[in-house]
Amino acid sequence: MTFFRDLTAQWGERYRRMSIQMVLSLSFTAVAAVGILLMGISLIWRFSSASEQLVAENSQRVLAQANLNLDSYLRRMMRIADTVYYQVLKDTDLAQEGIAGPLSLLHEENRDDLVSLAVFDSRGALVSAAPLSAMKTSAAPARSDWFQSAVQSMENLHFSTPHVQDIFDDPDSPYRWVVSLSHHVELTRDGVTEGGVLLVDMSFSGIEQVCRGVTLGEGGYLYLIDGDGELIYHPRQQLIYAGLLEENNRAAAGYRDGSHRERFQGQARQVTVKTVGYTGWKLVGVAPAASWLTASPQLFLFGLSLLFFAIFLMAFLNFRISARIADPIRRLEQSIKELESGREDVEIEEGGCYEVQHLSRSVRSMVSTMRHLMDDIIHQESQKRRSELEVLQSQINPHFLYNTLDSVIWMTESGQQDEAIQMVTSLARFFRISLSKGKSIIPLTDELDHAKHYMNIQQIRFKNRFTSRIQTGADTEGLYTLKLIVQPILENAIYHGMANAEDDGLIQVSAYREGDALIVDVADNGLGMRPEVAASLLDEDRPEVRTSGSGIGVRNVHQRIRLTFGAGYGLTILSEPDEGTLVRIRLPALTREEAARCQEGEVL
Amino acid sequence: MKRDRNDLVEIIILGVLGSLVVLTLAAPQLLQVRRSPPLLSLSILLRDTDSSGWTVARQGMEQAADELGAELRFLTLTVQNDSEEQTAILFREIDGGADALVVVPAGPDDLTLALSQRPDHCPVVTLESSVEGAAGIVAPTDEEVGRRLALALLEDWTGGPVLLLDPLPQTGIGARAEGARAALEERGVPVRQAAALPQDRPEERWVMAFEPLATQQAAERKEAEELGFALYGVGSGAAITAQLERGNISALAAWSDYAAGYLAVRQAVEAAMRADRQDPGPLAFSIVRGEDIYAPENQKLLFPIMSSSGR
Repeated sequence: MTFFRDLTAQWGERYRRMSIQMVLSLSFTAVAAVGILLMGISLIWRFSSASEQLVAENSQRVLAQANLNLDSYLRRMMRIADTVYYQVLKDTDLAQEGIAGPLSLLHEENRDDLVSLAVFDSRGALVSAAPLSAMKTSAAPARSDWFQSAVQSMENLHFSTPHVQDIFDDPDSPYRWVVSLSHHVELTRDGVTEGGVLLVDMSFSGIEQVCRGVTLGEGGYLYLIDGDGELIYHPRQQLIYAGLLEENNRAAAGYRDGSHRERFQGQARQVTVKTVGYTGWKLVGVAPAASWLTASPQLFLFGLSLLFFAIFLMAFLNFRISARIADPIRRLEQSIKELESGREDVEIEEGGCYEVQHLSRSVRSMVSTMRHLMDDIIHQESQKRRSELEVLQSQINPHFLYNTLDSVIWMTESGQQDEAIQMVTSLARFFRISLSKGKSIIPLTDELDHAKHYMNIQQIRFKNRFTSRIQTGADTEGLYTLKLIVQPILENAIYHGMANAEDDGLIQVSAYREGDALIVDVADNGLGMRPEVAASLLDEDRPEVRTSGSGIGVRNVHQRIRLTFGAGYGLTILSEPDEGTLVRIRLPALTREEAARCQEGEVL
Repeated sequence: MKRDRNDLVEIIILGVLGSLVVLTLAAPQLLQVRRSPPLLSLSILLRDTDSSGWTVARQGMEQAADELGAELRFLTLTVQNDSEEQTAILFREIDGGADALVVVPAGPDDLTLALSQRPDHCPVVTLESSVEGAAGIVAPTDEEVGRRLALALLEDWTGGPVLLLDPLPQTGIGARAEGARAALEERGVPVRQAAALPQDRPEERWVMAFEPLATQQAAERKEAEELGFALYGVGSGAAITAQLERGNISALAAWSDYAAGYLAVRQAVEAAMRADRQDPGPLAFSIVRGEDIYAPENQKLLFPIMSSSGR
């Protein structure tokens, strides 16, 4: 029970791992093979039955012919006996004349078939015989079976089983096998009728000749038995007599006329029986089962070959049909796998039968819906990012505006008209560039100009405690940058680097190109800081500190650049205490077209 | 990957089925070749100058040869029981490529020596006498034949010595004589042994012969010269049986020569084909007296049907 459970589980596991094509192929082929095999077995069975029937009919036909021949032979012998009785004995008074002459004449006429003709009186004494007349001294006819049978059943003719002729002394051929025909007769002697026995010894070779030529197909043979099953003729009679062979003759004696199946010495065979009229003998035809089951192994093998060829064809057709069914499903599965792996340009084919086409359409529709949803999500994300940028860009500290305007009032009241005009002009220019018609990507020149105006304002406010210098490389011409990224760095440099400067402070902005990148360095010679402090400035986990500058911190700039261009870009801060700080801004070198695309939200 | 595996499985299945188709188409030709092995060539070496005494055995041999696919060559000697000539013929047949030999040894010791000189000889099966180096022997148990025949004599014995005729002491025939001698001496019966009957009238009233020819010659001489001894012999030919019927032989140890011939050839063929051997065991024999000659079983034993059928 456990074995079957395990087997079922094993097959279930295999089934789950199999492809649909393999399941279809194997199951179709298995069913087809079983069907063809059953059909083949059925055909073989039918063929075998028909062959057996044919063999039976053939045996019956052959036996009928043999029976005719044997019957004819025996009737001839019986006619001889009748001739002796009715034409010789009936008309003869043995006291007056002998019968040796007529007996000799009859024997001479049938010498090929007859061994001897003899007439005995009721006590077994020889009356007359031909061709021999001298009895053996040891002969006792009255004790013989043939004599007893004739005396006991007077009306009938009796046929013995083969035996050695043991009555007459024949110097030429002393021991001949004969079959004795005996018949009770009436003998007349001196007008007195008495009983006697007529003996006709038929040569065994006569019966042998009748039976010997009969053939019953391959391995088949015919034998002859009496009513008790005693062998009369068998093609291998001497082997049986010598004990080297056995025959199922006793059982055959019990069979009725017709064909029968029997098993003898482990061999199945068909036995056909035909009773020989009058004598009670039985002709038995034996055909081994092999003669109709494997009589034609070539035919059997040819049938087997056809069977295998039919299975081969069925298997081939099954494989092709299952492939045709399974291929569209497999292609659909492959497409889904590609989709899973992230490919976007996957074409989902609509092939195969109706159900598969329907499934493909559904998957295609689902993928399309998914793509639209994904586009929506991306767009929403982009919008969200843009909003965040705008929020960040709008974080200009109002204090900067208040302080600048306060400086302008103070300068105006103190009569510093030119400085006030310059300051207001720079402020106006500063705000114009800050707005930039709402664009987030602006030319590098505008960004640096924005930085320059900012520095102008701060230099006036801080009474020229520091100077600033802005340099651009020739290869940066026409490049674009994210707006408002330099000013926050300058603001940090002023508020933290130049806090203790007298008039020797220097803030230097340099823009140059490095491969596909645009580098903007903001360096100051201020207080500087420890490298670990510099490194921590960009740490996102660091608590945000509001400065007194414009309000847009270094981390803000770093986040904006990374949000816009990816993690490969952003700020790097290098600083040493008392030596100054260098903030390096790394951006993609955007051309006008690329800037426009970037502005529209495409990811570079 | 899975597709490749499917294709491989399909190709294997189609390949196996295709191979089976080809195999079943080609098999009939192979069977045809196997079915008709060449006939085996068997030589039968007798120890007599003619094969008339082996007529029945020959029929059995021919029956076996017909059934098992062999052709037989019967070879006789120019001098009765000449083992030297028999050895020469044996070597000639071995050199001539005989597949197997059936030999009735004229001298078992000489034949043993001859076979030892030719270790590459084909299978040899003997009749009557066992020979070392032979593939088999077909004969009754000789000592038992002698003993049972002696017991038959003892049933009739009324006194006086028994003459044992032993023309070939070193053969199976000699073993029969030894078996008889042992049984007789056990009962205190005086025994004398001779190669043949004496030229003049033998003194003994009891004579035993252990070879068919010796039995027949002794019976014929008894009948011709009206000798008064009781004869006990072996054999089953028509001439011997006639002597038994006429009372010239008191009892006969008889076995089927037909069976002996059949079994000898069957053993030789099996040995030549190196097939599984069916050991037939010693031949069965019967002691037949004159009055029992026509008993059904004795008729079958003593008077073989001289069938000329092909089977």
